[in-house]
Amino acid sequence: MVRAHISLTTIRQLIDMKMLPCISLHRNLACLHPAVGGVRWKSSYRQAPLLTAAPVRALIDEQISIKARFLPPCCPVTVCAQMHSEDGDLWEAFAHYNTNADGTVNLTSDQSVGGSYLGREPMGLFWGLQPAPGSREGLRLRKKNVETPYTVLLSLLEGHVSPSERQSTELAAIFTERCYMAPGVRRIEIRQDGVVGTLFLPPGPGPFPAMMDLWGMGGGLPEYRSSLFASRGYASLALAYIGHKELPGPQNTLNVGDSYFQAAFHLLQGHQQVCADRVGIIGLSFGAYLTLRLATQTGVKPSCLICINGPVGSVIKLPDVDGSSGLFDSEKKYWRYDDQGHASFREVSLPANIAPENKVKLEHLPCPLMYILGEDDLSTSSIENANLIEETLRAAGKSQLLTRLSYPGAGHLIEPPYAPNSRASMWSVKPEKLITLWGGHLAPHAAAQEDAWKKILDFMESHLRL
Amino acid sequence: MGKMSQTVPPILSVLPSRALVDEKFVVVVENLPPGSPVTLHSLHHSEENDFWEAFGHYISDHKGTVCVAEDLSFGGTYTGKEPMGLLWSMRPVPGSRKGLRLRKRDVCSPMLVKVSVYSGHVAEGFTEQAPLASVLIERWYMAPGVQRIDIREKGVRGTLFIPTGPGPFPGLLDMWGGAGGLVEYRSALLASRGYVSFVLEYFAPGEQRSADVELNLFETGFGFLKDHPQVIPDKVGIFGLSLGSTVTMYLAAESTVIKPRCCVCVSGSHGYARGGPLRGVFELMFKNSHMIRVDENNYHIWREMGLGLTSDLSKKVDVGKINCPMLLVNGEDDQNWPTVECAEDIARMMQAAGKEHLLTRVQYPNTGHLIEPPYSPHFRATMFIMHDAKQKFIMLWGGQTKPHSDAQEDAWRKILSFLQHNLYCSPTLKAKM
Repeated sequence: MVRAHISLTTIRQLIDMKMLPCISLHRNLACLHPAVGGVRWKSSYRQAPLLTAAPVRALIDEQISIKARFLPPCCPVTVCAQMHSEDGDLWEAFAHYNTNADGTVNLTSDQSVGGSYLGREPMGLFWGLQPAPGSREGLRLRKKNVETPYTVLLSLLEGHVSPSERQSTELAAIFTERCYMAPGVRRIEIRQDGVVGTLFLPPGPGPFPAMMDLWGMGGGLPEYRSSLFASRGYASLALAYIGHKELPGPQNTLNVGDSYFQAAFHLLQGHQQVCADRVGIIGLSFGAYLTLRLATQTGVKPSCLICINGPVGSVIKLPDVDGSSGLFDSEKKYWRYDDQGHASFREVSLPANIAPENKVKLEHLPCPLMYILGEDDLSTSSIENANLIEETLRAAGKSQLLTRLSYPGAGHLIEPPYAPNSRASMWSVKPEKLITLWGGHLAPHAAAQEDAWKKILDFMESHLRL
Repeated sequence: MGKMSQTVPPILSVLPSRALVDEKFVVVVENLPPGSPVTLHSLHHSEENDFWEAFGHYISDHKGTVCVAEDLSFGGTYTGKEPMGLLWSMRPVPGSRKGLRLRKRDVCSPMLVKVSVYSGHVAEGFTEQAPLASVLIERWYMAPGVQRIDIREKGVRGTLFIPTGPGPFPGLLDMWGGAGGLVEYRSALLASRGYVSFVLEYFAPGEQRSADVELNLFETGFGFLKDHPQVIPDKVGIFGLSLGSTVTMYLAAESTVIKPRCCVCVSGSHGYARGGPLRGVFELMFKNSHMIRVDENNYHIWREMGLGLTSDLSKKVDVGKINCPMLLVNGEDDQNWPTVECAEDIARMMQAAGKEHLLTRVQYPNTGHLIEPPYSPHFRATMFIMHDAKQKFIMLWGGQTKPHSDAQEDAWRKILSFLQHNLYCSPTLKAKM
């Protein structure tokens, strides 16, 4: 069968057919005479390989154990993962293995010899997912609806192949579900006191320790970190502050100020299922700056702070009561472009480019701070900012409050583990298309996410629970 | 509660929080005061609107931790070191209707169990007090992507479950017992473990004596499975429970049409009037119905009805004619049928025919008739309907909860291993891929 010129549409259709439960298709097959097609093997020497994953439904930050059995010994096979994002894009990963002498492959212990990752990587098929060839450019994988899982198809192919080639025999396949919410976690939309956010509560009577969850200038309301915190026993409020239609003012400007963030913190703290004296704040990117800013103000007493790849100061002024607002784009003079026209925002946050009065007064840091940075961060000057934080705290006699985690090869978007990193992605489409650079190389970034997440949860445990 | 007590409650975790029903979980409580007595409690609201619960009494260590997989329970519905006790020791809450049995009807949705931790050693009134913490877990019979297909064609009625993947797969014909109807959960689970599984409905509940069920119904069912494009035709086995086991043995011995690759017979007997229809089994039983005993609770014990059968050859399946590996799983405290005695007789008959190498017999002490997938609660006696619902009584199945649950766990592992060995190629076979 000539496969050389199978079009992208046909590939998608084939994948769609496999991906969706085709009940009607199989019913039709069941009624057909047995001699139909090349679907059937009559020989009793036909191998029936078995592919298993345990657990087959898991939270996104849980490791799963993938195994293949009943294969011939010392044979090349490819294990492949495919999934559709909520926007309909196809993401794929694959790895080449050689079966053991007993005809098995165990991704927890065996080494990949090629593909999306090399070596021993039990979760490589997940963090190694990349947009399939022919996809739109600038994609980033982010779950919008955290109440449904990602469905990932894992398949076992004959030989060392690339899944896009579609030339190999599929030996076995299973679906796994990657969930963002544990059973019983409650999702509550918050539109109160002017605050726009989503609160996630763990199951049970409570009260619970809590986290306020802040993201970057990309805006919107990413919920996927908060839903995971709630799945781990912490109430968590994901807060929108820019680029959300329910916030006042134009979506491309920052129209909320200190009083907004304080209101959100107090709302969380005052919730009847939250322990008022055990509330922390986590922020990524600009959210990290907001975290530090909020924590060093009076009237706000967090128990701990986690800052990921964020600056200690901002060239944008937060609007005060007068309503003056800042535009991120006004800092375009600091943007640097690579040969493909992709923009790095890194220099916007260089401490040297920020006036002292726009920097957070770190001497007033009231509680332990964990600062996490990716050494290949192309969006924020994380290393320089981390150094500044360290120096300032040392001078103020507060070094003991700081825990600094630095990950080589990791980029800006240090997110919950086992999801792929995007080295660059679409930042805006108007007035013209712009792709921004985040940095980070696939394997070291994945390792950083896995390690950082563990350390984040341990840090929260020590300061919010024990 | 709430703002008044600002101390952080203990953290309870059950991992994995979503699992297949035959997978283990790890229950851990942390952040308790050290050396404090606590109760771990599980609660399930069934599809029939009954409540089932289990609980164990624990004491936290110096770190304030309880780990159910490692610590011992000192009271409750189970004691000792029992990682899965919160599931298998479940029983209807006090005040429930009598004779209840827990069987999931809708296998496409999970069984939800609320696991909670209470302060102190509590034995009752769980709904009246607030737990310290609780989590919700899901127990699934179906893995994602497993297809469930209603089959009403070519003279067969049942449900087909197909694993994900290109296939083809080995197949299993799944046959239940004398209560009748269509029970899907074991087939769903077998499909989740890699077998195309077809549960055959051979009579509706209450139809026992009126259903006109001939052997060719089963041959047709087996043939349907064998001919399915997703099934490897010479790797189809049969799985029977109770009456289904009898049918399994009869098919394996007498059918000239079908050749199962292997058979699993749980709690089965080989009593069958040769050449007769299936309802003959019931008629045979009821000739001996004067031998039904009742115990002190008026529960029916049917065991003795089967004891006389082993002497009359014409009333037994000629198991010496069976030509495939067979696994018999029985409970020594089976009060419904003398399955252990039958198994001994089966072994004798097969040995006489030189077939003893095909037979594996597994029997468990203090285990009753209803040997179900692991971690299912044990039912010593449940409501049973006969004769077109004109007769309803409580049937004694037997077994003591703890040994019966151990048997369920051990048997399932042995069954899966037996099926894998016989229906999936072992790597030593020369195979072209």
